[in-house]
Amino acid sequence: MLSTIALDTQVLRPGLCTGCGACQGLCPYWGSVDGRTVCFFDCERRDGRCQRFCPRMPTDLDALRRQFFPADSILPEIGPFRGLYLTRAADPGIRAKAQHGGSMTALVELALAEGFLDAAVLTRSQGGLNPEGVLATTPEEVRVCSGSSFQIPPTLAVLNQALQENRYHSIGVVGTPCKTLAVYKMRANPLPDNDNHAGNIGMVFGLFCGWGLDWVGLKALAAMHADPEAVCHIDIPPSKYHSMELQQGDETISVNLDNVTPLVRSGCHYCADMTAEFADLSIGGARSADDWEIDKGWNQVIVRSEKGEQLLDLAQEKGVLEFKDVPETGLEKLKGASLGKKRTALKNLRQLTGSIQDLGYLTPSKDLFQNM
Amino acid sequence: MTANAPGQVCLMQGNEAIVRGAVEAGIHFAASYPGSPSSQVLGMLGKIARERSFYAEWSTNEVCALQACCGASLANGRALCVVKQNGLLCMADALHCAAQHGVKGGLVIVSSDDPSAHSSTNEFDSRWQAMSAGIPLLEPTTMQETKDMIPYAFELSEKTGQIVLVRVTTRVCHGRGNVILAPLPERPRPLERVREWDRMVCVCYMHAPALEKLESLRRDFETSPYNHYAGPEKPKKLIIAGGTGCLYGQEALRRLGGGEDVGFLALGTLWPLPEDYLLNYMRPAEEVLILEEVDPFLERAVEALAGRERLSLRFLGRSDGALPQIGELDPDNVAAAVAKLTGVALPENRPASTLELPVREMSFCAGCPHRATFYLLKRAMRQEKHPGVVVGDIGCYFMAGQSAGQYAYQVCNCMGSGVNVAEGLGQLTNYGLDQKVVTMCGDSTFFHTILPGLVNATYHHANMLLIVLDNSATAMTGFQPHPGTGLTAMGEHVKAMDIPKILDAVGCKVEVADPFDVVEAEKILRRLLDQPGMNVLIMRQPCATLKAKERSKKPVRVYVDQDVCLGDGCGCDRFCSRVWGCPGNTWDFQKNKAQIDPVACVGCGVCAKLCPSGAIKVEGGEEA
Repeated sequence: MLSTIALDTQVLRPGLCTGCGACQGLCPYWGSVDGRTVCFFDCERRDGRCQRFCPRMPTDLDALRRQFFPADSILPEIGPFRGLYLTRAADPGIRAKAQHGGSMTALVELALAEGFLDAAVLTRSQGGLNPEGVLATTPEEVRVCSGSSFQIPPTLAVLNQALQENRYHSIGVVGTPCKTLAVYKMRANPLPDNDNHAGNIGMVFGLFCGWGLDWVGLKALAAMHADPEAVCHIDIPPSKYHSMELQQGDETISVNLDNVTPLVRSGCHYCADMTAEFADLSIGGARSADDWEIDKGWNQVIVRSEKGEQLLDLAQEKGVLEFKDVPETGLEKLKGASLGKKRTALKNLRQLTGSIQDLGYLTPSKDLFQNM
Repeated sequence: MTANAPGQVCLMQGNEAIVRGAVEAGIHFAASYPGSPSSQVLGMLGKIARERSFYAEWSTNEVCALQACCGASLANGRALCVVKQNGLLCMADALHCAAQHGVKGGLVIVSSDDPSAHSSTNEFDSRWQAMSAGIPLLEPTTMQETKDMIPYAFELSEKTGQIVLVRVTTRVCHGRGNVILAPLPERPRPLERVREWDRMVCVCYMHAPALEKLESLRRDFETSPYNHYAGPEKPKKLIIAGGTGCLYGQEALRRLGGGEDVGFLALGTLWPLPEDYLLNYMRPAEEVLILEEVDPFLERAVEALAGRERLSLRFLGRSDGALPQIGELDPDNVAAAVAKLTGVALPENRPASTLELPVREMSFCAGCPHRATFYLLKRAMRQEKHPGVVVGDIGCYFMAGQSAGQYAYQVCNCMGSGVNVAEGLGQLTNYGLDQKVVTMCGDSTFFHTILPGLVNATYHHANMLLIVLDNSATAMTGFQPHPGTGLTAMGEHVKAMDIPKILDAVGCKVEVADPFDVVEAEKILRRLLDQPGMNVLIMRQPCATLKAKERSKKPVRVYVDQDVCLGDGCGCDRFCSRVWGCPGNTWDFQKNKAQIDPVACVGCGVCAKLCPSGAIKVEGGEEA
């Protein structure tokens, strides 16, 4: 099947596209508008990087995982695992702008400063509306990208362009689970006649993710409650609050979550990965079972690879991150939440395909999902 | 064309023969809107108008042309109106009114039909308009007849006080043949002041006199020198032919043989039918084959005549399958029809070659600004959440419906229709149609028929975008001047109409973009798409052919660095030659890389801006 038609019929039309940008920045055929992946013209190639990189095209995730992580490190619920930590940036300047504890910003800044990376592909949240992918080469440029967005911009288009340029040889990538999966697909060099300089990918930092929101829908919702241009931060507190909070200056505006959930991107309903299992380090907000306030302003960090471990150790050694003990139930709680997302995804995929056996893009990954 | 050399034999194209005929007729006035296949006629008339003391103009549209001719006729001037099939239909109201009020000075309309639509979007048969309006109709076959019929038509027109329609077809307009010249009048006869009680007014009670005029002409046509018969006195088999059908029919009879008992009636006066003349040969006949271009016009009329006279005849022609129902006549399909009539076996048709020609779509010229506009439009449309609807119009950009314009539009009616079709859709965007609506027109079409629609759409606040493809030319038909060019048919320099000023006065939102500045133009395009109300984007860049004509210096050299070119690899897939599709962007089959055809390339350099790997380079010279 022609590449553009393959993606159109297997990913875009069924509503699987995550808007990650893995298919973009490679050619004149794919682009993105307001978080929507757009095909400008048809490509007549039978195979191409766009469909090979797409995290929603069928892939054997077991094989991909075995290629990059030792089998004995893999936990079925949350993927490769070498340790779970609670951390936050030691620098209060980082924390002030961060979504949670600012650990991601601190770690990427450190990785650039210490030569782990020579560039990093990040998302600049711009207050949470109209985020964009950015190629940062200095800690200062990383700092600007602090804070997150519930819109998912096509950040990987920036990665693809940076790789193609072949100017940086150890590029870090920060992304949601769909994006980090795409990056590992890139690293596996799926298209022999064009490797896109995938060897230049240095480290991968995953972000925990429940879902992303429809770009235009969120903007419209924000406009109903605030000035979209003035919104500087968006957050969703724990579920008992049932709200989304928009920060506008000193004011926090609460929006009922019932108005937000219909805006969840269609593609996110089919995502089975909460903790960004393909990554060196995965980072999310810390949520204590007892009270939101207890761990507020802290991150959970899953170390998945040796390189990730080295960076975290260095952060501790240099005092870039502060650590606190992970409660005993922490890992189990995380596993439970992750499993919950997997189950929902499988249920939705079965509904989409109309068959118990057919898990759509997850079908080739037999070991991972056969017992679920 | 203006040599007063009676008896001299000249090789002439059909369109030239029309011009010569008009000069021999001593016309005072000529008006036309360009349209193939008769576009050249007024161009030539314009060049000799001063010398021959008449006025010639490229009118803004065909209605203007015919009505201006009516004015000239009222002053007893001889006026020639030249249009193509669509133009004749465009002025149908004016024609029918003029047919009822009649004319004073001779008024002749030459309407050129394009069977098989070689350079048209459709094929129509002009002849029905003669029957419908009730005016006489002539159709020449040879170049000599074409020339001679023009003065003859003027004489008939003045004799009966009625418009005369002369129908020609592509092969007559573009064919060449010997023409014996007749003397030229020293100068057109003097005009007559319009008198107080002169009347050319279309009112209902003029209908009966108009029909009487037609009936009186029928008697003239019974003995017209333009109807010829050859064959047995009482033919069993009869061929009735008009226009090119005559020549094809005669050729077929000669080629196939066995036509000794076939009567051949070449008809030059097609309406009203010279009934007695026809019946004379129809009465003894058993089978009649009708050879004519496009529709079964003669066939129906002759069948009706036979029915009225209770003749039992078998008819062959366009209706019964002896000839194809659509498309132009050619020596082969006429030979097949003649063989069916005569019963002579058709010789085996041996093709000259077994090689098949490659299928080629019509395309925009190399460097055409329209290609860039439609490339950007496709990109903009694909960026809409629900891709919009694009309404086409008539001009070079009609080709945008094919790969040249990225299959741009979903609907296209006739010339000038785009803005109106879009207005309809644009109004419905307030009633639940959640799509952007875009239409287009060229600068010549803008003046031709867009203006009323523009006023309508703006006045009624339609949500739409009109793209004016301002290439400073009526390019499709050969660069005839129009009100935006500042030039007239007679070579006079006048003040050009300013399209943005007109748009501004009408009250729509207007922006101007250069389609070759692809990044900026796309931004403007997308911005206008998001604005409610009537928006107009003028895409301004002169026609590439016009520029090539005017350029003095060497154009820039555009070439492909094949070491950088990705070819059909991932990341490109022959983007320049396959998607952009300029004839200058070709494919090197040896190296599997892109290349530039230096002969076709005019150096616009747009492909260099679009090449995903920067492999196309632009070097030196004068930028197009």
